[in-house]
Amino acid sequence: MMLARARTATVMAFRDQRRRPLVLILLVLLPAYVITKSVAETLGTPRRIGLPDGVWVTTTMKDLHGAGMGGVVVAFAAALLGVFVMQSALQGDRRLVVAGFRPGETVLARLLVLVAATALVVAVSAVVTAFNFTPASWPPLLAALVLLGLIYAALGSLAGALLDKLAATYLMLFLVMTDLGVVQSPMFRESPGSGAALLPGYGPSRVMYDGAFAQSFHGIGELLLSIGWLAALGIAVYVVLRRAIGQTAIA
Amino acid sequence: MLSAALPTAAAFTREHLRAPLTLVLLIWIPVFFVLIFATVLGDFATALGGTLASQSATAISAGWAAAFLSGTLAFFQVSSSRGADRRLSVAGLGPWRVATARIAAACAIGIAVSAFAFVTLWLRSGIGHPLHAAVAILSFAVIYIGLGALIGAFVKGALEGSLLIILLFSLDAFSSPEMTSSGALAWTPTRDAANLLIAAGGGQGSPSADWLGMAAVALGALAVALAAFWRAARTRAE
Repeated sequence: MMLARARTATVMAFRDQRRRPLVLILLVLLPAYVITKSVAETLGTPRRIGLPDGVWVTTTMKDLHGAGMGGVVVAFAAALLGVFVMQSALQGDRRLVVAGFRPGETVLARLLVLVAATALVVAVSAVVTAFNFTPASWPPLLAALVLLGLIYAALGSLAGALLDKLAATYLMLFLVMTDLGVVQSPMFRESPGSGAALLPGYGPSRVMYDGAFAQSFHGIGELLLSIGWLAALGIAVYVVLRRAIGQTAIA
Repeated sequence: MLSAALPTAAAFTREHLRAPLTLVLLIWIPVFFVLIFATVLGDFATALGGTLASQSATAISAGWAAAFLSGTLAFFQVSSSRGADRRLSVAGLGPWRVATARIAAACAIGIAVSAFAFVTLWLRSGIGHPLHAAVAILSFAVIYIGLGALIGAFVKGALEGSLLIILLFSLDAFSSPEMTSSGALAWTPTRDAANLLIAAGGGQGSPSADWLGMAAVALGALAVALAAFWRAARTRAE
């Protein structure tokens, strides 16, 4: 019975997204345009950067855009997905709860939609990156894109659940621009400053640049930090949404 | 018409500022853009093959902040207020008054955001031509009010609209004058405003063609925004 309800909620949540083909088009078009354009426009100016474990490499600004722009776009798209998928959940899922569904079942359905949409953005970004840049090692780069997507999708979900949509949108765009666009970017600093480790994009972006430019993997600590962020945010999203949908239904 | 539209415009403005975090972000983002992004935009432009000097980069960051905030706001104004605006229109205010009130509210917030960006810019690095810079920053805001409202008129979903605004913003940023090596071939709605702002940041005047171009695009954007707000407020029978 519980499994059947969860399956129904999941199918309905996916059907809700399928009715909006423009979302799917934009989730493909946005990474494709931004990654291709940024790499095409950037010059091959030499740049020395620091990787995890004290490794230093010399690369070019063009390759830095090839390596990093996928992560920035994934975070932007995933953060907005988080905000608006969860705002839809808060509006519609309370009816399911009133009809007898458990809050956890509806939250699970929305989280599956969010993970699937994030996976789509990550896949498109990885394919477009592959057309524009050849990393030293794909697995860390792909893992970093997935982690960035899921971490920012979770942050977007929390913002969507706790704030109104204008504030949530401003906050997420501002956070992604600051964290990944400036603080973690080796285009502006050879290696991130000391305060950078406090931001959610630190771990995944260090893993991403390590995969892009190092022949062997040095980012174990950063990978574990990223997984820690994801686990903490995942639990927070589940708890906050479960409570929000349950309370809304009771009210 | 104005006597009815003005109190409504004030109510629409209050509606957006009710959430304290929105108010904080409307102040903080322009200040942040100018203070932080200005220090890296010069490097970014150099990486892209552009010639943007540090002081000009500081200036253009103010324009982008005003554009980004105003465009997003205008989109949400149109996309999420359809039902309420139609009810107001049917209740006697009429679609033109509702549209005028909406555009007045968007412009009031756009002016405030532009003012925060302008003052930060002035305090941080000084401006050779303050009046030119102020007009150019405001034009960025007005142009994006038009673009955001246009997207809102045709795209109902908040996610789709937000993604479109990011796409538009990326297109604008990568094609901005002096930012790219192929910038001369690209045209974007904010091109003349950016030319003017970059010149003002560097302490130079601008040719009248840039002024005329910027004025034409800004007025066009206002007309588009008015049409979009009107379209959202009218009932099907009208």
